[in-house]
Parts: sequence; C-alpha cells; structure tokens
Amino acid sequence: MELLTSGLSVVFQPTMFLLIIFAVFLGTLFGALPGVSATMAVTLGIPFTYKMDAVSAIAFLVAIYCASITGGGMTAILFKIPGVPSSAPTTYDGYPMAQRGEAGKALGMQLVCSAIGGMFAAVCMLLLSPQLTQAALSFGPSELFAISFMGLSILTSLETDNICRTIISGLLGLLLACIGLDPLLGVPRLTFGTRFLTSGIEMIPVMIGFFAVTEVLKQTAKPSKLTAVGGNSSMSAKMPSLKEFLSVKWIVARCSVVGTIIGILPGAGATIASFMCYSMEQKLSKHPEKFGTGCLDGIAAPETGNNAATGGAMVPLLSLGIPGGNAAAIMMSALVLKGVTMGPLLLIDQPQFLSATFASMFVSNIVMVFAAIVIAKVFVQILKVPYSILGPTIIMMATIGAYATKNTAVDVILMAVAGLAGFLLVKCKFNSSAMILGLVLGTICESNLRRAVTIVQGDTLLEAFINLLKRPVTGIIMAVCIVVLLWPVVKPMVAKKAKAK
Amino acid sequence: MVIELIVNILLLGFCIFCFGYVGATMPVSAVNELGAEQWPQGILILLILAILWNIFKFFRVHKTAEVAEAFKEFPGDVVGFFKSKLFIGMVLVVIMALAYEPVGFMVTCFAFLMAYGLLLGQRNIALLVGTSLLITVILYVGFSVFLGVLLPRGNISFLRDFALFVESLIPSF
Repeated sequence: MELLTSGLSVVFQPTMFLLIIFAVFLGTLFGALPGVSATMAVTLGIPFTYKMDAVSAIAFLVAIYCASITGGGMTAILFKIPGVPSSAPTTYDGYPMAQRGEAGKALGMQLVCSAIGGMFAAVCMLLLSPQLTQAALSFGPSELFAISFMGLSILTSLETDNICRTIISGLLGLLLACIGLDPLLGVPRLTFGTRFLTSGIEMIPVMIGFFAVTEVLKQTAKPSKLTAVGGNSSMSAKMPSLKEFLSVKWIVARCSVVGTIIGILPGAGATIASFMCYSMEQKLSKHPEKFGTGCLDGIAAPETGNNAATGGAMVPLLSLGIPGGNAAAIMMSALVLKGVTMGPLLLIDQPQFLSATFASMFVSNIVMVFAAIVIAKVFVQILKVPYSILGPTIIMMATIGAYATKNTAVDVILMAVAGLAGFLLVKCKFNSSAMILGLVLGTICESNLRRAVTIVQGDTLLEAFINLLKRPVTGIIMAVCIVVLLWPVVKPMVAKKAKAK
Repeated sequence: MVIELIVNILLLGFCIFCFGYVGATMPVSAVNELGAEQWPQGILILLILAILWNIFKFFRVHKTAEVAEAFKEFPGDVVGFFKSKLFIGMVLVVIMALAYEPVGFMVTCFAFLMAYGLLLGQRNIALLVGTSLLITVILYVGFSVFLGVLLPRGNISFLRDFALFVESLIPSF
C-alpha cells in the first residue's frame, strides 16, 4: 500500500502527470506509425529523459512503451500493417472487421483489452518484483549468470527459420560487449590501440542506430505506401457493449496471465506473447473457424497478451537488473546513464523505482484509452504525413538522442555507423534484435561467470565449471536454458523423423 | 546473394584475427580461472563455427553455377548500388553525423531534412522548405528550450553567431 501511494504521488505530480500524458500520445503515435517499433519508440523517447531524474525517466519511458504496443494495433486494424511486430496477429481479425465497416468496434475492443492486459500485468509486477528481489538477494554470481544466460538461451527461438544467423547475431553482440576495459582486471581488451574504444561500445547510440537509422534506410530502399480501409474519412473507436465484452472475458483473463508470464521470461516479449495468445485461444475456442474472418475474440487475445507482456518484461529488469527484451534493455541503458546501479539491491534501496513504474503503467493504460480515441479521430490524417518528412525527422530525433548521451560527436558518428552496419546485417538476413540482446547481456553474463568461477574454485577450469553446475539453482536454470536453447533446433528434426515414419 | 557471402567471409576473417589478437594482448591467466581473454575467445570459437556452418548452408542452398553467375553480375550491382537512393541516403546520414557538431544543430537539421526529403521524392519545394524549417524550430524549442538538452551551436564562428541569433529570437522559458 505504501508502495502504491508513493508511486501515485510521483505520477500525479502536475509536471509528471503532464509528461505521462505526453508520453502516452507520443507512444501511441510512434507505435501506430508502421516502421516505428515499440523498441524504436522507447529509443526515440530517450532524449526527452535527459533532464529528468531517474525515477521520472523510467515512468516516462514505461508510458511510451505501453502506449506504443497499443498504437501498433490501430494500424493493424485499419491498414493490415502492424505498427509494431506484436500487433501482427491483430491484423488477422481486425482488418476483416474494418473491411466490413466495423473498424470502430474493432478499435474499441482493442483499446479496452490492451488497457486491461496492461493493468493486470502492472499489478502482477508490483506483487512479483519484491518477491523475486528477496529471492535474488540470496543469489550469488553463479545464479545471476544462469539467469542472464536464460536471456541468451532464447536466441534460437527469436527467428526459428533462421537459427544459425540469429545465433551469429547474438554472438556478435556478445563480442561487441567485450570491447573496452575488462570488467574484472581493468585492462583494455579488443581496443586495437585506439582510445575511443577504451570505454567500450556505448549502448544507447548503437541501439538508436540499429532501431532508428536502419529502419529509415530500409524505407529509403523500399518505400511502402499505406491505404486505409474506409478511404480518407475519419475513424472513431466505438467502445464494446457489455454483452460483447462479457463474451471475451475469459479470453482476456487467460491472455492477461499468459502474456505476463511470457513477458517475465528474459528474451521473450510482446510479439511471442501475442502470437501465443492468439493460437491458444483459437485452439480453445468453440468456433475456431471464426478466427481470421473478423471476430472480436481474435482481437481480444493478441491485444491483451501483448500489453500484459509489457508489465512482465519489467519484472526481471527491476528485480534482477536483467532486461526481459530490447525495450527493457534500452530503459536499462537510460537508467545506467543516470548512474543507477541495476540489480537486486535497486528495489531494496530505492523502492520508488517499482512504485513509479507501476503507477506509470497503471495510469498510462487508462490515459491510453482516451488518447487513442482522440488519435483515432485524426489517425488517417496523421498517417498522410509523407515519409519524405517523417523519415528524416526520425533520424534527427535519433541524432539528438545519440549526441545528448555524452554531448560528444563521437556518439553521433557511432550511431550513424551502427545504422549502416545494422542495415548491412539486415540485408544479409542477420537479426539485429539478437545482436542487441547479446550486447546488453554480454557484460552481465561475463562478469558474473568470472566471479562465480573464482568463488567455486577448482584445480582446473573444467572442474570449476562442474562445481558451478552442482549448485542447485544454477544447475536447474542452466538445464532449462539448454532445453530452451536446443528445442528449436531439435524440434524440426523430431518432426521430420515422425513424418518419415 | 554475393554480398551475403562476402560479409560472411569478412566476418570469418575478422573473428580469426580477433581470436589471435585478444590472445596476444591479454595477460595470461591461471589454469583454474576464467581470464580476460578466455570469455571473448570462447565467443569467437562459437562465432567461427557458426559462420562456417552458415557458409556451408549457403553453398547447400545455392548451386556453385548460380553463385558464379551472381559474381559475374556483382560489378553491375555495385554500380547500381552507388547510383541508388539508398547509397545517397547513407552518404547523407554520414555527412550529417560528421557535420553535426562543427556546423551546429540548426543548419545541419534544416539541410538534412531538405536533402533527405528531396531524396525520398518530395518535389514540392515550398512545402519541403516550410516543413523543414518548422521541424527544425520544433525540435530546437522542444529539446533545447523545454527539456534543456544540449544541442551543438557549431564550431565555425559565423554559423555559431547565426545559431545564437536564431536562439535570441526564441523566448526562453
């Protein structure tokens, strides 16, 4: 209760409340724009936080994150183009509804389900994070290594059609994280004699380059044109009737739980949550044939799931200092930049981070419904802004964010190089999300593993590793990691064998 | 197709070089400790294996004759790339990044918005000038005036004076 009141007192400060409303509008707008993912929306929100204190900054970024996931659903319904990847399943039923002239009803259901999913996840985060923090306090470096490795173990599941390249991308991220001063000995490593690399690869400019510049370059190479159903007329969200809402109540309840759990898993995020919820509900439905033809169930499931995942993703970040996904990784970088030490002690020493994040999530999910109704009215007009204006503006906002990291032009150049490299990697079918995951988790994994090896001791390195795995929590988590890591590789082989039989 | 193969081969070469480099430049660690060189070397071994597997898969998917044919067309593709909007876009981003601090935010932002807008096919010059100017002012006022984010004024004296002059026109809050 104390946490709740302190969180609400932060969020309801007049300036902060206005900032959250602004963040919700900004996030909904960013999320709705195709080519601006939720991660990119959070990235573009970073420059706004430079003059804020750390607690306000996380509240602001969380509001953008939640709103952008919801905003993505609007383009999915009206244009059949998901604004964010996690809205892809919303297109299956949202667009057919819009084609039938029920866009308003589809938008209304999407907003209500998103808000409920988001608020449920926020409550779960408030209840679960302190418990996990308490458990994490008894964890040593070996357990923390195992948990951060869990984030990496999801690499093979990020793009199952392209496992090898996704692994290469993740490993490249881990290698990039090795550049700079060694975390334990303090000797320069992989710096090639240049002083620019001594402090390591600055994460924020690289992320901005990967998520903002690369996307604009992709659009430059292959511009896409949007056409909304219903032409140029204005669109307005129509709230679902009580009967309509009651028809999806169990879907909302199930998907809120599933979305939150998936969000908590390091590496898994809103996209996996929305796809999983959609297919789960299709299997559970009495009328699975209706899915894909424009039914409310098909909108409620993914939209509840992806918004619930936002709250789940904050649990490992706040309680363990391990980001659950790319957006959480960016938030972590923004906090580290402000001198915040991430880890289990964060919530013990500064519980206001949890309370502010919870309050911001809760309030922004409510504000979001109203903001989205307003935005929906002018939505078609907003999307008429040509990309020739929007694209370069995104790059300039990204540049402001990169420069403001340390007020040095080196970071702007790093952003540009990362953008070009990101484009080349995408062109070669590598996975930039996997690379960022590796970059963020690399230092955490390495420093904890090396500390753990020193603590457990052994006559040889192999013996030390065996001793490490003998620790019960580490052993169990590592076993789970191996299963998660290998399952997407083994699964097609098993399926192939079964088919051959 | 060819660029994919070239990137993989370059990455492979870079990883092999890094493996040797990190081993040669780091202090030697004891047999029972995980030293500064072993973590990156472990990653590099996995990377080398994964890249080799990726190259093997590449040749399994694409037949040798197909790759040879693609290599023949490669010079033409390179010329095409240098003439493409994408390459010009990349050059504009690099120029903007290099000019950002010496030239200053206002001029860089306005020029970049104009140039990239033209590149993306905006032919209405009046609209382009108007929106570029408006966006520059909005970004400047939003970030520098309201949020207090430091934006460079430029190192060249007349550009710096110009930025200061424009700033003097905008009321401070």
